[in-house]
Amino acid sequence: MPSKIRRDASAKALRDENAELLQFLYACPTGLISLDAGGTMLMLNPLAMQLVLPLVRNHEVSNLFKILEPYAPELRSMLASFAPQQGTVCDAHRVFVGRGDRGDVDKVLSCTLVKLSHDRYIATLSDATLQVAQERRLKQAEAWFSSLIDGVDDFAAISLNAHGRIDHVNASVRRQTGFAEHELIGLFLDVFDAPDPASSVLSCREQVALATRDGWHLDEGWCARRDGSRQWCQRLISVCREEGDIEGRTISGFTVVLRAVTRKAADAASLKRRLTTDHLTGVSNRAHFFELAERETARCRRDGVSAALLMLDIDHFKTVNDTFGHAAGDQALKTVSAACGRALQPQDTLARLGGEEFVVLLPLTDLRRAGDVAERLRAMVAALEIVTPFGTFAVTASFGCSMLDDGTASVGVALAAADRALYAAKRGGRNRVALSEREDVAA
Amino acid sequence: MSAISPTASFRSAPFEAVPHALLCIMGSTQLNRLPFGVVGLSPDGLVEVYNHTEARLAGLNRDDVLGTSFFLSVAQCMNNFLVAQRFDDEEEIDAVVAYVLTFRMRPTPVRLRLLKRADHPRRYLLIQR
Repeated sequence: MPSKIRRDASAKALRDENAELLQFLYACPTGLISLDAGGTMLMLNPLAMQLVLPLVRNHEVSNLFKILEPYAPELRSMLASFAPQQGTVCDAHRVFVGRGDRGDVDKVLSCTLVKLSHDRYIATLSDATLQVAQERRLKQAEAWFSSLIDGVDDFAAISLNAHGRIDHVNASVRRQTGFAEHELIGLFLDVFDAPDPASSVLSCREQVALATRDGWHLDEGWCARRDGSRQWCQRLISVCREEGDIEGRTISGFTVVLRAVTRKAADAASLKRRLTTDHLTGVSNRAHFFELAERETARCRRDGVSAALLMLDIDHFKTVNDTFGHAAGDQALKTVSAACGRALQPQDTLARLGGEEFVVLLPLTDLRRAGDVAERLRAMVAALEIVTPFGTFAVTASFGCSMLDDGTASVGVALAAADRALYAAKRGGRNRVALSEREDVAA
Repeated sequence: MSAISPTASFRSAPFEAVPHALLCIMGSTQLNRLPFGVVGLSPDGLVEVYNHTEARLAGLNRDDVLGTSFFLSVAQCMNNFLVAQRFDDEEEIDAVVAYVLTFRMRPTPVRLRLLKRADHPRRYLLIQR
């Protein structure tokens, strides 16, 4: 029967077309998700699965907002406050999810969310980790160059030979640093180092090493003056190549520009603050924590020293929110983080990882001392009074400690060990401190 | 490896127990009858075996999948340290792991069995819904 043959042929054509479409979606290099207004994922392609799977526990891949809640709680409210019938809710919104697959670098996802109807949304997810790292560098450069154009102050210019020793300085160097040219010739740039752990600025030698690797390095921090005082300087180190060296492999020296930052450069400082702090609590943000912790890990490896990570999580925080409201919950986060910040040393870094979870980076600290610090913070938090317009209450927090040392594979691995210890503290009844087993940290 | 009886019932080869050597000698008819998905990969990750069950559940034509790079073109969600990386890192594997795949773009809980032997180039991935 010709009509049956035609039907079969068209059914096969449809099947093939369907298979082709599926293959197209399976191979798509961007994550695609279709979801309803509550965040339930109706469909997702393999790349979307690959990106969300590391963020879920127990393979519960069902609700996108729930999965991203610890990292981007704002997604839900952005969607709720989006009034139009359809349109783009957010475009390439950055979500810092940390802890890559193997816990190496701070991972960043880029999420675009489009409303199709009141209960149908489509989202794209992609990995923006590299892009974000590049942008951070560009933003620094932008802040630097815009301040160069705006400012009319002096620039101290110093040239270094291929070994990093000072071989020439301009006249402004004396005005800005107090050193005469003959006092500087032959010295390393270290002469301007003004160690200040609180600002976590790299040493001059580390900055020269970075410039060697990248071609240039830009930083901001304290610079020592001859009279022992210090001033806040922007510092650009760029590499000079041999002339005619097309490959650009041989370094003939470096040019260093130092510029004292005055009020005119407050823009750069506020940009830096915006990039590094958590909006609600004012402590370091997740991205900044990973940056500092990576640097600390490198230092541990290089110098054979150790540092400690201390994770803390406010107990029964959901109950606080449910009982007193989210505004009171926010106040609790602010009170606890401010009190912890005051109790720590200037070289320590307190950061908010997300939700009610914080982390403290303690340089040059062993596990036992970290345990003591945690115990001190625990007692202090438990004694705090959280005063809000919705009532006054108390909270407790649980703590997990782990180590960073020359055997630590990555920040993510150490953080996961601290997280396991924190979980043990929670399981042990909360309002307590648990230390990670040493074996856990060395991966 | 113990000898395999030629009369072994392929139909009842169980997901958890079917040995690597048996998969290697099964013909396509026998592989197609298995109630779970069978994907055989070369050391480069190219698809050499793709049984009917797997093609049907994934909604793909077997011929379109054969010869493609499995973890790039079909199963990006397994292109990580839990699955693809293990095939590269470990000398021998026989492990069952719980996982979630995206068959026809629907999240689907599955059990995966990863099979690799030091004395054979082909790796197998068995998929049970």
